[in-house]
Amino acid sequence: MSHGQQASTVKERSHIALNNEFLRKAVKFTTERLRNGKKKATEEHGNWEEWRERGRQIRLHTIAHLDYYLNQFVENARANGVHVHFAADGKEAVELSMKIAASKQTRSVVKSKSMVSEELHINAALEKMGIEAVETDLGEYIIQLAGETPSHIIIPAIHKNRYQIAELLSKEAGETLPADTSILAGFVRRKLREKFLDAEIGMTGCNFAIAETGSMVLFENEGNARMVSTVPKTQITLMGMERIIPTFADLEVMATLLPRSATGQKLTVYMSAISGPKRDADADGPEEMHIIIVDNGRSLQLGDPEFQELLNCIRCGACLNACPVYRHIGGHAYGGTYSGPIGAVLTPALQSNVAEWDDIANASSLCGACYEACPVKIPLHDMLVYLRNRKVEKGYGQTAEKIGMKGFAAIMSNSKRMRSVIKMGQIGQKLVARQGMIKTKIGPLKGWNSVRYLPSLPNQSFRERWGTLEQEVQASNPKMSDEVRQRMEQALEQRKNGGRHHG
Amino acid sequence: MADQELTLLEQLEKESRAKQAKFIGGIAEKLGRKDIAQKPQHPFRGAPDFWNQLNWTQEEKIERFMDNWQSVGGHAARFQTMEEAKQFIVDRANEFGARHMIRQNQPELNELGLEEALPETDIRVWNSDPEEYWKAHAAGADIGVAVVDHAIAYTGTITVLSSPDKGRSVTLLPTVMMAIIPVERLKTRMGEVMEKIDGMRREDLPAGIHFITGPSRSSDIENDLTIGVHGPGIVYALIVG
Repeated sequence: MSHGQQASTVKERSHIALNNEFLRKAVKFTTERLRNGKKKATEEHGNWEEWRERGRQIRLHTIAHLDYYLNQFVENARANGVHVHFAADGKEAVELSMKIAASKQTRSVVKSKSMVSEELHINAALEKMGIEAVETDLGEYIIQLAGETPSHIIIPAIHKNRYQIAELLSKEAGETLPADTSILAGFVRRKLREKFLDAEIGMTGCNFAIAETGSMVLFENEGNARMVSTVPKTQITLMGMERIIPTFADLEVMATLLPRSATGQKLTVYMSAISGPKRDADADGPEEMHIIIVDNGRSLQLGDPEFQELLNCIRCGACLNACPVYRHIGGHAYGGTYSGPIGAVLTPALQSNVAEWDDIANASSLCGACYEACPVKIPLHDMLVYLRNRKVEKGYGQTAEKIGMKGFAAIMSNSKRMRSVIKMGQIGQKLVARQGMIKTKIGPLKGWNSVRYLPSLPNQSFRERWGTLEQEVQASNPKMSDEVRQRMEQALEQRKNGGRHHG
Repeated sequence: MADQELTLLEQLEKESRAKQAKFIGGIAEKLGRKDIAQKPQHPFRGAPDFWNQLNWTQEEKIERFMDNWQSVGGHAARFQTMEEAKQFIVDRANEFGARHMIRQNQPELNELGLEEALPETDIRVWNSDPEEYWKAHAAGADIGVAVVDHAIAYTGTITVLSSPDKGRSVTLLPTVMMAIIPVERLKTRMGEVMEKIDGMRREDLPAGIHFITGPSRSSDIENDLTIGVHGPGIVYALIVG
């Protein structure tokens, strides 16, 4: 898939987004709608914290025993008649898919939404082989026609308005379609019906895989994933290796958490559990079924205490909707398959690419809203700090920043130095300060002052006022009682001996 | 051609088995184990305990189910007998001018006598002749009729299991879906249905288990709700009993 010209840094990409007024409004509107939907749904359901905790426990337990559960899943899926394959990376997954596709001599593949397939860029590979890959989720279909990538995990075409969509679909229809939602959706329904009935191969993702029965589970609202897994003769499922849960009983918990967190629904319109190809006497369902289990960087997080919990993610997108940065810059600014807080951590973690770590990890205010929103309680804001940490440890910090920090340390550790530097500043700023503000964009002030102004240094600093302040305080405060003084002296003594920490 | 394909599948199968040990062994190693873990204790299985206590009376279940189904844009009605439900289906079919219908090959539906009541309508019985192309029949049908296996009041959901007599396409491809819910199959929680599925032997599981909660929908164009994007846009839940 062609992405067009990709700007190289988050800052550049976000500028493109910030300049696009419509995108900003659309992202704001959609994320607010989804966030309010989630709030309402979780309040109505009640005991949300207990459900989150249960969801977290199930995911933690499964990942901690992933070797056992994945093996169990593989054995049971095979017993159901599924051809199971393993792909260590994206390249292997694509090769496997292409081998299967080639053997079917098919002209087209119908696909239902799958983030893994976005990760692997499988459409481009199919097209190279002369096989048409058709995205069948309404939003995915639209952005495929536009030659773009999804900007939101749940609502991929969040950034397009209906006039742009009508234009795209009109080209496909060969006639001018009005910008009316139901007419546009009706056209897509008819158009894709033909594609479903025409395609030899259906490709799906996988929301959950049940170890005890070898079943794969899909959540969706439109019915296209059911189409893809019912109509074509061959089904190929791309599954991240961490999608496992032990039993159907555990699926009830995921079905409680995922739709409410994603869209505020009590349940998605369709939840389908598929356990192998059609039985011999069945008259629909795929005759042949493949599941490709994909690692592609996931195992890098296993056994890593700071990042293992990333594998608990159930891909609901609640952290995107909660994130003030995402709401501002939109999904494309993140530059990877996954956007928002989860993308900021997952993208560099999957690629184990230190050079890219800094950029996206800094696109966060560390406010913790993502953690609060997460239905399985992944501490994303902590992980963003770990990422920044690792980047600095690996020496990817900026030279100017390092020198700055050293200089800061030198000044702050000596009171005389500190005093003279402040004096210099107070004199120096006379050239640039106006009405208590410094507005110039020269030198290091450029980044800060291009979006806000720096307050000037006060004429008299706090340190300079301290002498007077202390006298005032002494005079106005009653003398400390002996008891209190004793306690404070004790506390001071304790602190000298190593002391006690908070928390 | 078929020969070549078989060899490809066989070859892929061989590769898969060879790779499995390395793939899963690698996971075990990362988790600090030499060998693949033994069956672990599973202390947090399924929903929290307090949740499993929730059990509504039949009247509550019916009321909540209908509320939920209607709130997502479905239609719901309640009948004392199958005869009343049949009359409802016949009336709607006449009202819509349905020319093609498809129904599951279930005993309850065989007894219903829709065929006699709608002589003008072509009503197909799923997979009644294995030689025919049943997916096309379902795709061409105006109305699909099925008796559900389970229903869940808390979420307003029906559950249908596939079998030679019960096509997945019947609840998916027609424009209108009519689902008959015998009242004794209506549960309070999803967990009650999961318990039944977990209790089945793997080899008895149907290929498709579908939980359906209302009409097909999408909000992908400007957040504007659209009904019937791929699946049925008009769905009826008919509770009987």
